[in-house]
Amino acid sequence: MARFRLLPDEQQARSPLLLLWREFARQHSAMSGLVLFMLFFLLAVLSPLLTPHDPYLQNDTLLLIAPSWSEQGLVQYPFGTDDLGRDMFSRMLIGARYTFGIALITVIGALLIGLLLGVLAGMSKGVKSSIFNHVLDLALTIPSLLLAIIIVAILGPGLLNTLWAIMLALLPQFVHSIRNAIAEQLNQDYVTAYRLDGASNWQVLTRLILPNIWERLTVTATMALSTAILDIAALGFLGLGAQAPTAEWGAIIADSLDLIYVAPVGVALPGLLIFTAVLSVNLVGDGLRNAMKKRREN
Amino acid sequence: MILYLLRRLFLLAFVFIALSILAFSLGYLFPGNTLQNFTGLTDISAELATQLTAEYRLDSGYIQQYIAYLQRIFSGDWGLSFASKQPLLQEIKILLPATLELAAYALLVSFFVGIPLGIIAAIKPEGIISRIISALAIAGYSIPVFWWALLLIMLFSLGLGWLPTAGRIGVLYEIPHVTGFMLADILLANSQHQAEALLNALRHMLLPTVVLATFPTTVMIRFTRDSMLDVWEQSYIKTARAKGLNRVQVLYRHALRNALLPVIRQIGLQFSTLITLAMITEVIFSWPGIGRWLIDSIYQRNYPAIQAGLLVISTLVISVNMLTEILHTLFNPLARKR
Repeated sequence: MARFRLLPDEQQARSPLLLLWREFARQHSAMSGLVLFMLFFLLAVLSPLLTPHDPYLQNDTLLLIAPSWSEQGLVQYPFGTDDLGRDMFSRMLIGARYTFGIALITVIGALLIGLLLGVLAGMSKGVKSSIFNHVLDLALTIPSLLLAIIIVAILGPGLLNTLWAIMLALLPQFVHSIRNAIAEQLNQDYVTAYRLDGASNWQVLTRLILPNIWERLTVTATMALSTAILDIAALGFLGLGAQAPTAEWGAIIADSLDLIYVAPVGVALPGLLIFTAVLSVNLVGDGLRNAMKKRREN
Repeated sequence: MILYLLRRLFLLAFVFIALSILAFSLGYLFPGNTLQNFTGLTDISAELATQLTAEYRLDSGYIQQYIAYLQRIFSGDWGLSFASKQPLLQEIKILLPATLELAAYALLVSFFVGIPLGIIAAIKPEGIISRIISALAIAGYSIPVFWWALLLIMLFSLGLGWLPTAGRIGVLYEIPHVTGFMLADILLANSQHQAEALLNALRHMLLPTVVLATFPTTVMIRFTRDSMLDVWEQSYIKTARAKGLNRVQVLYRHALRNALLPVIRQIGLQFSTLITLAMITEVIFSWPGIGRWLIDSIYQRNYPAIQAGLLVISTLVISVNMLTEILHTLFNPLARKR
């Protein structure tokens, strides 16, 4: 004798978030990406407590020590020291703060501003929304490096100034994706039904639209984060972003470039770290996208 | 369709006006003397200053100044470079083709490598080949371009000594500047060492092209794959299969045409990223293009050059964007309705 069941399937009784997580956890690549991402995140927060040496302390008795796996290396300096006697390992750890941490802050900033502008553009109609779009199209066409060059020319080089440039370069894609997502939601029947119940614009936005679009926002944010990390590192490498003593990964590569024969670790390692950081972000983003797609299919 | 084109043209005009206002305002926003920023002259005597101020209308309101600026832009008087004291427009005319050449080859590579690989990856999405292609694509998508360039230089130029590290062609060859595109210029030069020069130029070109093509290729792979998987589930594919067409026929006649449509649009969207990457690639390989020139300009505080560079590069990107969008609409009747 069959029992009465409100929902046809046990699967569908779970919350959407839990379903998303189940689909996400099923992908090995996405899970390893997530682990790496968490590792970088922890490193960005905790690195000042973890560094064995002061990353800026110059020690002229210990110049250019080889990494500890070679014959000449010291165990206390796992990756050796650079030409000023600074511990490479500590510099790598602290670099997570700059390259990864600042990229994260940039993306969160761009996300919040983008949310504000996107909602304004998405909820307005006619001329106002059209002007929004056209201004955005202009911003979208200026390559991020060119934007950074202009901002650096006006304000001078520095990590903080390039942060504005990258934020500005990321903004259009957030506004576009939020605007499109809102336009899609506004066409749904449940929005019309809610409006007939007497809901105001604000209620429609906060109760219906935002809960429905935040997953797509997360995917956009992961894509933006990988761009932001690459841009910060590239600007640091070109000498427009983080300046000399700062242990930003891209800047470390630029510093170690003239010593590439003597100490290839200084170029290889920071590059590998940037690559791993971006890879972890992309894996998480891809996994999230796949999981959302699979959940919709079920 | 005509209405659509008119709307696009209107938008184009609007964007160009906004862009020129931005470029004009930079003359004031950049540090230093506004007159110097506009003219590019660093040493201006008192009487020359009054004469130039009158000519540039710097004594009247901003709108008159802006109109005078536009007139100068259209008449080809873009000012001088702080660094070389040469007219900026002349410099850009020599530099831009080098960048365009590099970017064009990278885009071509991304088509001929990225699209087939994307199609192969979509045929059996869970298969081993597909997984390898996807893994390579995500790795190529994540690699920082300057580090990738350094790795390749270390391996192929310094380690194995197969390829040169810098420049467009060996210094032994003298190629007259005709079109600015190196390969075309060599073919036009008609010298007795044409074949050697061509080989030399190709060897110089190989590494920068591979480095620059990495990102667009991986984007193409991912995009083509997703697009193919999407199209493959549509009902018209099932209909075509049910009618008895084999896989190759369905792929060629129905799936490919529909799946590659959004790819056209993707070129326009990725073009600004491509230019950013081209600038970095040019710096590393000492490629004499506009990107390296712009980055040198920032080290030299060469403000007129940055202003002109903004104008040229943005115009290029906007034009490519607009062109791909119009092409996409032309080929896709569904997009025309909206």
